[in-house]
Amino acid sequence: MNRRTLLGGLFAAASVPVLSACSSGITSLDGEGGAGSGGGSSKSGVTIGTANFTENQVLGYLYAAVLDAAGVKTTVRPNLGTREILIPAIKGGDIDLLPEYQGALLHYVDPKSKATEEGEMQNALAMALPAGLQVLPYGMAEDSDAFVVTQETADKYGLASLADLKKQNGKLVLGAAPEVKTREVGVVGLEEVYGVEFKEFKSLDSSGPLVKGALKKGDVDVANLFTTDTDIQENQWVVLTDPKNLIPGQHIVPLIADRRADSTVRKALAALGNVLTTADLTELNRQVDKDKKDPEDVANAYAEKKGLTT
Amino acid sequence: MYELFKNLGTWLVSGEQWSGSDGIGHRLAEHLQYSLLATLVAAAIALPLGLLIGHTGRGAFLAINLASFGRALPTVGLVVLVFLASGLSMWPVYVALVALAVPAIVTNTYAGMTAVDPDVKDAARGQGMRWHQVLFQVELPLALPLIMTGLRLALIQVVATATIAAYVSFGGLGRYVFDGLAQRDLVQVLGGAVLVAVVAVALDLALSALQRALFRHRPA
Amino acid sequence: MTIDWSWIGDHTDDLTTLTLSHLQAALSAVFFGLLISLPLAVVAHRIRPLRGLLLGLSNVLFTIPSIAVFVLLLPVSGLTRTTTVIGLTIYTLVVLLRNTVEGLDSVPAKTKEAAKAMGTRPFRTLLTVELPLALPVIMAGVRIATVMSISLVSVATYIGDGGLGQLFTDGFQRNYPTPVIVGVALTLLLALVADALLVALQYVLTPWTHRKQRAA
Repeated sequence: MNRRTLLGGLFAAASVPVLSACSSGITSLDGEGGAGSGGGSSKSGVTIGTANFTENQVLGYLYAAVLDAAGVKTTVRPNLGTREILIPAIKGGDIDLLPEYQGALLHYVDPKSKATEEGEMQNALAMALPAGLQVLPYGMAEDSDAFVVTQETADKYGLASLADLKKQNGKLVLGAAPEVKTREVGVVGLEEVYGVEFKEFKSLDSSGPLVKGALKKGDVDVANLFTTDTDIQENQWVVLTDPKNLIPGQHIVPLIADRRADSTVRKALAALGNVLTTADLTELNRQVDKDKKDPEDVANAYAEKKGLTT
Repeated sequence: MYELFKNLGTWLVSGEQWSGSDGIGHRLAEHLQYSLLATLVAAAIALPLGLLIGHTGRGAFLAINLASFGRALPTVGLVVLVFLASGLSMWPVYVALVALAVPAIVTNTYAGMTAVDPDVKDAARGQGMRWHQVLFQVELPLALPLIMTGLRLALIQVVATATIAAYVSFGGLGRYVFDGLAQRDLVQVLGGAVLVAVVAVALDLALSALQRALFRHRPA
Repeated sequence: MTIDWSWIGDHTDDLTTLTLSHLQAALSAVFFGLLISLPLAVVAHRIRPLRGLLLGLSNVLFTIPSIAVFVLLLPVSGLTRTTTVIGLTIYTLVVLLRNTVEGLDSVPAKTKEAAKAMGTRPFRTLLTVELPLALPVIMAGVRIATVMSISLVSVATYIGDGGLGQLFTDGFQRNYPTPVIVGVALTLLLALVADALLVALQYVLTPWTHRKQRAA
C-alpha cells in the first residue's frame, strides 16, 4: 500500500461520499500500452475532469450527456485547473476523461513535435502520450488560441500579424493565463518563432474576466483569448494572424485513461465529435457566459436537440 | 520532498529571481504594501470603534460577535463579490483584507478595555478627570497589551491572506502561488509560501519588540 | 448588482449538495484536528520544553497561505477531498492545540492530587478528571476552529473542490453575482448554525458548569 492510498483510506473513514471521485480512481495504471485499444471498461463509471474555463465545462457536460445516454455512469468535476494540473490528475486516477485540444495537448506531451496537420498530430499524440492515456478520434469543432489587440492598438502600432509584434519589442504588455508564460503557444513560442519580446507578462486568466477586463482597460496591449469567445467579435478586437503557424490546429479531442476506454465510450464520444461544430460550441459558450445558463443544462439541451441522447 | 526543498534553495538565491517586475524584491514590496496599508486602514476603523464600545459599554454584543462573524466570512467570496461590483481594481483586495482585520482589532480592543479595573476608572473620575482624560490616560494605556495582541493577530492574518491579490490579477507574493498552481511549478508555490510565512513571522516579531519597548517605560 | 432569485429556485438541489459537501470538509478537518491535537496537547502540557516548540510550530503553520498548502499537497493526495481535509486540518491545529493545552493547564493541581490520592491511574485521571474539566476551554477552541474551517473550505475551489466555494469561481468566471452572494450567505449561515449547535453541545456535555452556577 503506498502512501497515497493509505492517506486516502485514513481520511475516507469520516467522509460522506459527496464527491464519489475521491476514492474511485485509485487503480493500477500498469499493463496498458500508450496507444492501447480496448481492455478498459466504463462499467464502474467515468469521472470527467474539466479545466478552469467555461468552454471546457460545456464540453465536459456534453461528454457526460452522451455517455449517460449510452448507459455509462458519469461524474463531472468542474473547474479543476489548468492542463498542467489535469494531466497528472488523469494519470494519478483522480479523473478518467478530459476534453482536450489537439495542438495544445501535443505541445504539452511533446514540445518538440513539428506536426501541424490534424492526422499527423493525432498520430504524434498516440506516440507521445504517457502510458495509460490515449486520445479518441478528434471532433469537428475547433477552438484555437488567439492573440488579440484592440482596434486602437492595432492602428497605433500597425499590428496585423504576430510577426508585427517584433517591431514593438520591449514595449507591449501581454496578458494571459499564468501557464501561458511557460507554454510553447505563449511566451516561449512567440520568442522562438517570431522573436517577440514583451515588456511585461501579466498573469491573468483563460479568456476570462481578468484578461478581457485588462484588455478593455488598456492594462495589457495584447491578450491571449480563445477563438470561440464571442467577446472578440462583440468588441471588434483584432486577432493577429499567425503566418508561421505557431498556433497549431486545436480540434477538440477526448483524452481518456486506458482503464476506462471501451467501445461504448468511444462510440458515444465519436458521435458527439461528428455533430458538434465550432459555431455550435461558440453559441453554447455564449449561452453560459452571457445568458448565465448552467453549462450542464446547455449541454443537455444541445445533446437532446441533436438526437445524441436517444 | 528533498528534491523540492533543494530546488527551493536554488530558486530563492538565484539572482534572476530577485530582479525585475516579477522578481522577489518587487513582489515582496507589493505584498508589504497591501498588508500594511490594509492593516493601517483596519486599525483606523477598528481602534476608535473598539475604544468607544469599551469606554461606553454600548455595543458590547457587536464587539463580541464581530470576531466570530469575521472568522466566518469567506475571503474568496468577498473578493469575487467586490470584483464583480468594482471591476479590475485594487478594491477587492483591500476590502477583503480590511474586513478580515477589523473584527480581530475591535474584539481585542474591547476585551482590553473591559479588562481595566472599574475601581481604577472610578478613582480617575474621582480625581476630576474628564472622560477623554480617563480614556486616553487611564484606560488606553492599561488596555494596550491586548490591543497590540489584536493588531498582531490581524497583521498575521492579513499577510497570509494578501496572497489573494494575485487571484484578481495583482501582484504580491501570492503571484508565485497562483502562477505556480497554473504551471504546476511546486517550487514556485513553496517559494511563495515560505516567503509569506517569513514576512508574517518577521512582522509579528517586530510588533512584539515594539510592544516591549512601549511597556518598558511605563510604570506597572 | 442584482440577485437573480429564479437562479436560486432552480438550483436548490445543487446548493444542498454543495452545502453538505462544504460542511463535511469542515467537520472532517475539525475531527482530525482534534484527533491530532488532543495527544499533542497532553504531551505539551506534561513536558514543558516541548510546549513552546509545538505551539510555536502550529503558529508558523498558520502563517502559510492556505491556497499554497492545498497546491503543495497535490503530489501527495491529488485533486481529492483528502487534500482539502488535510489542508484544513493543519489550520485547525493552531487553535485546537493552544486551547487544549490551556484547558489542561486550568485544571487545579489539587483536583489532580485528589485523584492520585484515591489511587486513580494517571491515564484514567486524564480521561475522567482532566479532560472533562478542560472541556469548556477545549470547546471554545472547537467553536473557533469550526467557524474558521467553514470559512476556509472555499479556498479549495482553486483545486476543484471547496464546497460552496465553487459558486465563487463560477460567478467570477461568468461575471454573475448571484451564485457568489448565495455562496457567501450560505457560508455565514452554516458557520452561525454550527456555532450555535456547538454551544448547545457544550451545555449538554458540561452539566456541572451551569448546575454549579445555579447552586451558587
